[in-house]
Amino acid sequence: MKYDFAVIGAGPAGYVAAKKAAGAGLKTLLVEKKKLGGVCLNEGCVPSKTLLQAAKTYHHAKHGSVFGVSVEGLTFDFSKAHSHKNGVMNKMRDGIAGLMKKYKVDVIDGEAVLKPNRKIEVNGEEHEADNILICTGSSPAVPPIPGIDQEHVVDSTGILNRETLPNRLIVVGGGVIGCEFACMYASVDVPVTVLEAMPEICPNLDVEVAATLRKELAKKGVDFQLGCKVEEIGSSQVKYHDGTESKEIEGDLVLVATGRRPNVTNIGLEELGLEFSPRGIKVDERGATNLPGVWAAGDVTGQAWLAHAASRMGEVIVNNITGRSDQMRYDAMPAVVYTSPEVAVVGLTKEEAEERGIKTRSGRIPMAINARYIAENPDEAGLCKVVLEDGTNRLLGVHMVGGACSEMIFGATAMIEAELREEEIEEIVFPHPTTSEIVKDVFMAVR
Amino acid sequence: MATPIIMPRQGQSVESCILTEWKVNVGDDVAEGDVLAVIETDKASFDLESTAAGKILALFWEADDDVPVLANVAVVGTDGENVDEFRPAGLGETPAAAPKSAEPVTSAPVQAAPQVAVVAQPASTSLVASAGVSPRARRLGIKYGLDAETLNGSGPGGRVIERDVQAALDGKPRLSATARSRSLSEDLESPVRGSGLAGMVLSKDLKVPGSVDGAEMSSVKGIRKVIAERMIQSLQTTAQLTLHASFELTQAQAYRKQRLDDGQSKVSLNDVIAHGIVQSLKAHPEMNAHFLGNRIATFEKVHLGVAVDTPRGLLVPVIKNASDLSIEQISAEVKSLAGACREGTISPDNLSGGSFTLTNLGMLGVENFTPVLNAPEVGILGVGGIVLKPKRTESGEVVYVDTLPLSLTIDHQGVDGAPAARFLQTLVEMLENNPGA
Repeated sequence: MKYDFAVIGAGPAGYVAAKKAAGAGLKTLLVEKKKLGGVCLNEGCVPSKTLLQAAKTYHHAKHGSVFGVSVEGLTFDFSKAHSHKNGVMNKMRDGIAGLMKKYKVDVIDGEAVLKPNRKIEVNGEEHEADNILICTGSSPAVPPIPGIDQEHVVDSTGILNRETLPNRLIVVGGGVIGCEFACMYASVDVPVTVLEAMPEICPNLDVEVAATLRKELAKKGVDFQLGCKVEEIGSSQVKYHDGTESKEIEGDLVLVATGRRPNVTNIGLEELGLEFSPRGIKVDERGATNLPGVWAAGDVTGQAWLAHAASRMGEVIVNNITGRSDQMRYDAMPAVVYTSPEVAVVGLTKEEAEERGIKTRSGRIPMAINARYIAENPDEAGLCKVVLEDGTNRLLGVHMVGGACSEMIFGATAMIEAELREEEIEEIVFPHPTTSEIVKDVFMAVR
Repeated sequence: MATPIIMPRQGQSVESCILTEWKVNVGDDVAEGDVLAVIETDKASFDLESTAAGKILALFWEADDDVPVLANVAVVGTDGENVDEFRPAGLGETPAAAPKSAEPVTSAPVQAAPQVAVVAQPASTSLVASAGVSPRARRLGIKYGLDAETLNGSGPGGRVIERDVQAALDGKPRLSATARSRSLSEDLESPVRGSGLAGMVLSKDLKVPGSVDGAEMSSVKGIRKVIAERMIQSLQTTAQLTLHASFELTQAQAYRKQRLDDGQSKVSLNDVIAHGIVQSLKAHPEMNAHFLGNRIATFEKVHLGVAVDTPRGLLVPVIKNASDLSIEQISAEVKSLAGACREGTISPDNLSGGSFTLTNLGMLGVENFTPVLNAPEVGILGVGGIVLKPKRTESGEVVYVDTLPLSLTIDHQGVDGAPAARFLQTLVEMLENNPGA
């Protein structure tokens, strides 16, 4: 069949691009080898957030005494939480399927292999398209740790399918994924140890924000071992070196969360002459690869590693294909860690700005100055930091930890996208009392 | 007492100097002999030193201004002294004369006016619409804060009509708050479409007016500017024809070696060629000439220009009366003039007055090139690098010899191809048979 636009992979990049392209009148093909929605909907964002909410609800019920709420005989039925999770996933998948139908996107269940001259082969059939979008996503990285191939050693996909709680969870890797699962299990009273190789968790975050998150998770019972290297995973223990000596901890479930790798193999990239490496397909700011008419978006490009970034890449590509100039702007790309408290950031940290030679002014205030925050989050530390360009007063970054800050980061994103300055932001009205006022108040602390 | 500092005269032929860079600001204390500025003549650069001690009260010119020699450039004195009497005629109160602390006040309402000029790309503000502005155009302009008076009108007699204002508004980019404030305060130029939301212009999209994407911009000034003017003038006003030939090096190399064996001074191949040119020009005076439009100046003596590559650009010092000099003297002159050029100490008087020019790119691996005339000279000889060529000897045997390519560019307005070829023939014969003689 001949298409205007063919998409390989139905994750957040693929289905968003397919819908947008079809909406613009392009005859569109969407190929998916597993399930619609990709990692995000089936093995990542959506199921993990559902289970995190389950854990959070349990935690609130158990720790409600400060609000005068006490629960007798509190229990946690993990399998029930899983059925809710499965229900959400099914509903979302049906939603995508319905959307594809509505927009008349041809969806093929199968594995696509790219062929020269903008052709792809799926299930032994060849299709041709004026433009092809590769968004095959990513898979959990498998570090070379002895003992990693055991039944009780799981990656982020595997742990989401475990419907029983372990006695003790060991998380290898204190990045975003590791922290979210550590928070989830600790919230339902499973002892958790996180082994992180770097001196601080979540190395991509502002250091102070990361440290605040670590301390809050520690309060929930997560034991962090920083700067340590995992040496071996045994049948019921993990051996690691903490920089001075080898140690062992007990654990009946081990989550390996040491990052993800782009899915660049078995799709015919080598034969095509497409420029790529194990770190991803090389694209420009429009999502174009080195081959004309071949585009790539999402995790397979090795950039951002965020579902919303992938969707935006898909949109940018379709805009460019349909004659509307568009490009990615990673300096206004929000990122969230869905722990309790949540971390939400957008833009540059002070250090990143200074590395680029931008002179900055910055400010920080604790969430504890915010009425709504302390009313709802007693005993939880939070923080908001802001980075401005010195001279222009342009907003460069907002970095938050505390409460449900993921829901308000879009405001800071919009300000950065619009290159608003301190002068404009000062005139924006924030509703009172809301936690979001912290974003306005932090400017008072700027120097 | 307030003392003016004047632009010194650098050589008899120099009428103005380019002030490339100020080294001081108004308010600085200077001693006699302190460097105030860097100045450049046609082809060399100098430090402008203070001839008085005190405080800098005024700087009358800005960097890159072409300043007439003997004009006042600055005033040194004590605070409070009046400098107006020293201000060169025709120069207003220049920004450079204002105290440095008077930075533009960004919030002042007067700043709002240039905004239109920056983004709407109207006619220059000096071109006030002569045929007026239609009421509808004016209303639309007022509605969107655009001064219709500044636009080029497309109505009768250049009258600004509604569609002119609409066109200006359509082409007017949407600037982010930061971009708008930066474009005003730093006088930057906005593209019509930027990289931000739906084409919003972000601060990083702003460009220095006239800049080119992916390229570092530098202004053309000083020697570069002079070379540019001379070269384009040469190509535009002359009829250039280049003849290529080559000469066998055997004798020239033997001559150089013989000199060393005899304990004589070392001469370079270039010196041998320079000497050969001078001797050949004596036999072909039509090549030792300037073409001046309706007159031709044929020189009595040969004044040989020698192109020198310097860090500051191409310079052509002139060996005056080269036809009176021996090869040893020519060699010494070339060495001393080229050295002065490279060090930047060459006198401007030594950079003019040539009657014929020699240029050599052989050491850079070039075989042949078409030299550009140093107008109004009618001839320039380019020398390439050594080329090994087969040669049939008198016995019919083929041997390999080193040869040196020569490229003679002439102004066909002043001299024809055949006489030029004959000059080249004389030169080749001399270099092949009697080098250095």
